[in-house]
Amino acid sequence: MGRKYKNPPIVEAVCEFRLTEDTEWDLTVPGLFYERVKHEFPLREQRVIQALEVIPGPQGLQHVIRTTERVLMFAPDRKILVQLGPRLLVINALKPYPTWQGLKPRIEVAWKALQEVVDIKGLERIGLRYINRIEFPPQAVELQDYFDFYPFIGKRLPQEMASFVMVVEFPYVEDRDRCRVQLASTVGAEAKTAVILDIDYFLARPRAVDISNGLNWVEEAHSHVEEIFEGCITDRLRAMFEEVS
Amino acid sequence: MLTSPSELTIPLLNRPGPKTSVTELQRVESRAVKALATLCDLPQSLWLPWAGITQRLLQRGSASIVMEEIKPLSKRSPEDVSIVIEIESVLELLAENVRLHDPNRIREYLLRFTEIIDVVPRAVDAARRHFPEAQLIMEVYEDPEIEDCYLVLYVRLKQYDDSFVERLEKAEAEFLDHLADKEGWLQLTTDFREA
Repeated sequence: MGRKYKNPPIVEAVCEFRLTEDTEWDLTVPGLFYERVKHEFPLREQRVIQALEVIPGPQGLQHVIRTTERVLMFAPDRKILVQLGPRLLVINALKPYPTWQGLKPRIEVAWKALQEVVDIKGLERIGLRYINRIEFPPQAVELQDYFDFYPFIGKRLPQEMASFVMVVEFPYVEDRDRCRVQLASTVGAEAKTAVILDIDYFLARPRAVDISNGLNWVEEAHSHVEEIFEGCITDRLRAMFEEVS
Repeated sequence: MLTSPSELTIPLLNRPGPKTSVTELQRVESRAVKALATLCDLPQSLWLPWAGITQRLLQRGSASIVMEEIKPLSKRSPEDVSIVIEIESVLELLAENVRLHDPNRIREYLLRFTEIIDVVPRAVDAARRHFPEAQLIMEVYEDPEIEDCYLVLYVRLKQYDDSFVERLEKAEAEFLDHLADKEGWLQLTTDFREA
C-alpha cells in the first residue's frame, strides 16, 4: 500500500489495452460493449480521431489521413470514462483521483465487458499511466528541492531555465515492460511555475502477457508506478501534498 | 532553477518550432521517414522514396504531424489517449496565438466538456485567418444570471471598421457546426477594446 495524500497531484490516470491486429473487430462491438457497461458509464459520446497512415499504392507510397470513430462512455459525474475504438480500450480517471481502490473495479468492469463481446487474440500493449500536475508559488523553483528526478545542469551552463523536458525509459521484468518517466514544465496559472510528472508504465513486448493475466499485469504495474512516483519526489513535495498517515 | 514564466512567454516544450537548420530538417526528416516506414512495416530500401516529403510537410507548417509520427519509435502508444495531455497540447498551441486568461479555468472547462477540445483550435485558426492583425484573448466566461459558463474567444483590433461584424460572422461560421449537439460552448466575439 502506497502513501496517501490529502492533495494528490494526479490530474489523470489512464489504463489502456491495445489488442493485436488478428483480433476481429466490427461495428457492432461498441453497442454490445455499451450494453454491458452502461450501469457504470451511462453517458455516451462519439469522437472522430484522425491519424496519418502510409500505404503502398499503385503509384508508390501514399500517405492518407485515416479517420476512426471512438466512443466515449462517461460515469454520471463525468470524472471516469471509457474510450472504445478499433482494438482499443482505454479507461481514464480525471481529477479528483478516485484512489486505486476506486479505479481498479472500473478497469475490471470494462476489461471483462470487452472480453465478453470480442474474441481477443492477444495484447499488443497494456499501459498504466499517471499524469501529475504540480504548481508552485510564483517564484523561481529549485527543482532539486522538490524532485529526485530532474535535469542536471553543469555549473558552466546558465542556471536559469525558461522551460525544460526530461524523459527516461526504465526497463522492468527483463525489458518485457518499460516505464517512461517524463518531467516537463508546462502552462501554469498566471505567474506560477508548473510541471507535469508523467509516469507511463507499459508492456513493451507485444503478446508477452496472456489475456487472462491482463488485470494482474495492471495491478503489478500500479505497484511499480507508485514506487517510481515516490522515487521522483522529495519530502518537501510530499509536504505540499499533505501526506495522510 | 526554473523561473516563473511571464504571461506571454509560457514554456512550450512539445510543440515543434519552425525548423530553419538544414541539419535539423534532415534529422527530423530521417526520423520521420523511418517512423512512417516503421508504421507500415516497410523495408529500409523503401524509405528513400519518402525523402523530401517530411521537408514539404515542414515547409507547409505541418511539423506537428511529422513529430506525431515519430512517437511510435519510442514504443509509445501510437496515439495519445490521455485527455489531460490532449488539453495540454491544445493549450500549448493556443499560447502561440492567444493570450490565455486564467489557463487553469480553461483547463478545468475543457476537462468538463471534453467534446469541444477539438473545436478550440479550429476556432482559433478561423479567428486568426479572418483577423490576422488581431489580438486574441481566451477566457472562461461565467454568466451570473443564468449560472452558465462557456469559453469566450475575444478578437481585439486597433481599429474597428464596418466590415468587422461580417468578418466575425464568417470566422464563426467556420466552426459553428462542430459545436452542434455539444454541451460545452465557445463564443467568438469582441469587447471592442483596443488591441
